[in-house]
Amino acid sequence: MRPVLAIALKDLRQRLRDRSAWVIVFLAPVVITALMSMAFSGTAAFHAKVAVVDLDHGTAAAGLLQTLRSPQLADTVSVRSYPATEEAAQAVRHGPEQAGIVIPAGFTAAVAGGRPEPVTVLSSVDYPLQAQLANAVATSFVAQVNADRLSVATALTAGALPADLPRLSAQAAELRLPVQARPADASGYALKGVSYFGPSMGMFFVLFTIGFAARGYFSEQRQGTLDRIAAAPLGRGTVLLGKSLATFAYSLAGLATTLTAAHFVFGARYADPLGVAALCVGMSVAVVCLTTLVIVVSRTERQAEQLSSVVVFALVLLGGNFVFASAGPAALRRLALFTPNGWALRGFTDLGTGVSGLAAVRDPLLGIAACSAVVALVAAVLFRLRRTP
Amino acid sequence: MATPQAAQTIRPQQDAEPLLDCSKLVRRFGSRTAVDGVSLDVAPGETYGLLGPNGAGKTTTIKIVCGLLEADSGTVRVAGLPVRAAPGPAKRLIGYVPQEVALYPDLTVRENLLFFGRLYRLPRRRLERRVEEVLELIDLTARGEDRVDSLSGGMRRRLNIGAGLVHSPTLLVLDEPTVGVDPQSRHAIMESVRRFGDQGMAVIYTTHYMEEAERLCDRVGIIDHGSLIAEGTPRELVALVAEKDQVQLVASGDLTRYAEACRALPEVEGADVDRSDEGTVHAVVRDARSLLPRLLDLAHANRVQIRSVEIVEPDLEAVFLHLTGTALRE
Repeated sequence: MRPVLAIALKDLRQRLRDRSAWVIVFLAPVVITALMSMAFSGTAAFHAKVAVVDLDHGTAAAGLLQTLRSPQLADTVSVRSYPATEEAAQAVRHGPEQAGIVIPAGFTAAVAGGRPEPVTVLSSVDYPLQAQLANAVATSFVAQVNADRLSVATALTAGALPADLPRLSAQAAELRLPVQARPADASGYALKGVSYFGPSMGMFFVLFTIGFAARGYFSEQRQGTLDRIAAAPLGRGTVLLGKSLATFAYSLAGLATTLTAAHFVFGARYADPLGVAALCVGMSVAVVCLTTLVIVVSRTERQAEQLSSVVVFALVLLGGNFVFASAGPAALRRLALFTPNGWALRGFTDLGTGVSGLAAVRDPLLGIAACSAVVALVAAVLFRLRRTP
Repeated sequence: MATPQAAQTIRPQQDAEPLLDCSKLVRRFGSRTAVDGVSLDVAPGETYGLLGPNGAGKTTTIKIVCGLLEADSGTVRVAGLPVRAAPGPAKRLIGYVPQEVALYPDLTVRENLLFFGRLYRLPRRRLERRVEEVLELIDLTARGEDRVDSLSGGMRRRLNIGAGLVHSPTLLVLDEPTVGVDPQSRHAIMESVRRFGDQGMAVIYTTHYMEEAERLCDRVGIIDHGSLIAEGTPRELVALVAEKDQVQLVASGDLTRYAEACRALPEVEGADVDRSDEGTVHAVVRDARSLLPRLLDLAHANRVQIRSVEIVEPDLEAVFLHLTGTALRE
């Protein structure tokens, strides 16, 4: 065991003295996770600044304004009144407002009389979501008004007297359309972007370890140090074990660093820390198997470098490291099941939506184990074929 | 390299059981036979030189001895232990110094020695003590904490040898340790190899520099095309050509053609070109003085300009030329 540890520690010491290795496995994933976190935290704190121009000054206009300023929308919308359409348009176009609503003159009369008088929504190319929100609020208000009008018309048709119109209108206005949809997550809590892209980027960069390790092997072969090690009284597989242990430890440290930063610095949330640790261990084993395959297939340092690059990019593209797996087409989602990182991301997604315990990680761990076993088997067969003259 | 303290001089134990015993080694690579029936033995305290040109089979033989390559047939025993059947105990006795500087440039001198020592499972205290001894032996104590890539070429070569000594081997195998080394470091390396022999270590030393073999080795085996074609002390080998003369002709022109023409003469036993310095044709001949006018005529006929002619004492170079018909430095 001592020589195995000596080889592993030597490899780790060499890698930790290589600045590029620090940047790629420890720094880059944390930085990219930070950027992803910033991008997605923007979505979580969505807020719309809406300019309102009231050219009507009637009760219907007041109703719309009241809706916009209601406590339910207080966190999402801030409203500022403008005296004229041109001024509001200017504020939306150049700031500080992000969208605008113009209530036309005669809006209240139109509501009472039935002559259509549309509300205008001012939008900015920089804030399409805010314009959509303003449009949705205005549409919702008009839908409510139409519902009130329908109620009153129904009452009149049923025999109510025109003298009762003000009272019926007031009663109808107090009725609200039933809530038709309420967003709720089926599994505890919603997946945060950083909870997905943290491990995703961690895995992406840790896959580069394959290239480091494979190149290191061929570099040792070229330098003659591998022969020198082989001249020592070592058991079969000692060198492979030592180098695998170093690759495993290095991958695990890279993933652990990224996920720790994602959790404590950027707020990634997972239901089960043990599940996260199990996925990291599984993924590191997969990296070891992939490294062995690249070494067995390659013949030179250059070949190892090229092959490992192909492997890394194929895996991250198929595994869904760059996009939410659920956003991809069905075929891509199926292909992701042939990659260890695809399985690991599936596990991290479950853990990130509140699923805990064995249920979250059992299938992903089995998937990673199956992928690793297939890779190791192929490597073993190729190794035997190469040794047979 | 520093002089080791209390160096004890032990002469080769010719009658002792050989420490290294190679018997009928054969190794093929595809259709090419790299080692063809090589048998040799080295006694404790003996320095054995394996002399031959590049590609003769020296490194392949060395790799078989160290258990890095398996022989297709034949056996290697170190202190009676078969390297193939019991690689662990046999390898523990061997210190391997490869031809290239096989060290980690991004680790320090001390870290390199400690790492190679750990592979032999030396206890920690003993390993640390031994590393200090080796650092002193190779005269790098002051550079122990420096990274290898900051050392000069000569220092790296010394450390390369030191890494093969950490576990105190009884058989030291040096594969062309002076290739690409400046004369001062070369001298230092040769001196230390001589001392290893004096201390009772068996040394097998491959080289294609005949003067190294002559200076250092108690016995020399001449290897060419994978076969050991002669073996003995340098004196015994030179005696093979005692009745012959060695002629060195410094010349210019088509020397290859001239050497060929020389070889066609019945009195010439071997002739070849050495281009390492200025062009020189070496020839081993019978009765140089009477043959010399014909050699000069031949030069004229082949439009070769002779600048100087020297008849020298036969040495291992002449032996090689005599045995193979070609020069050692190809």
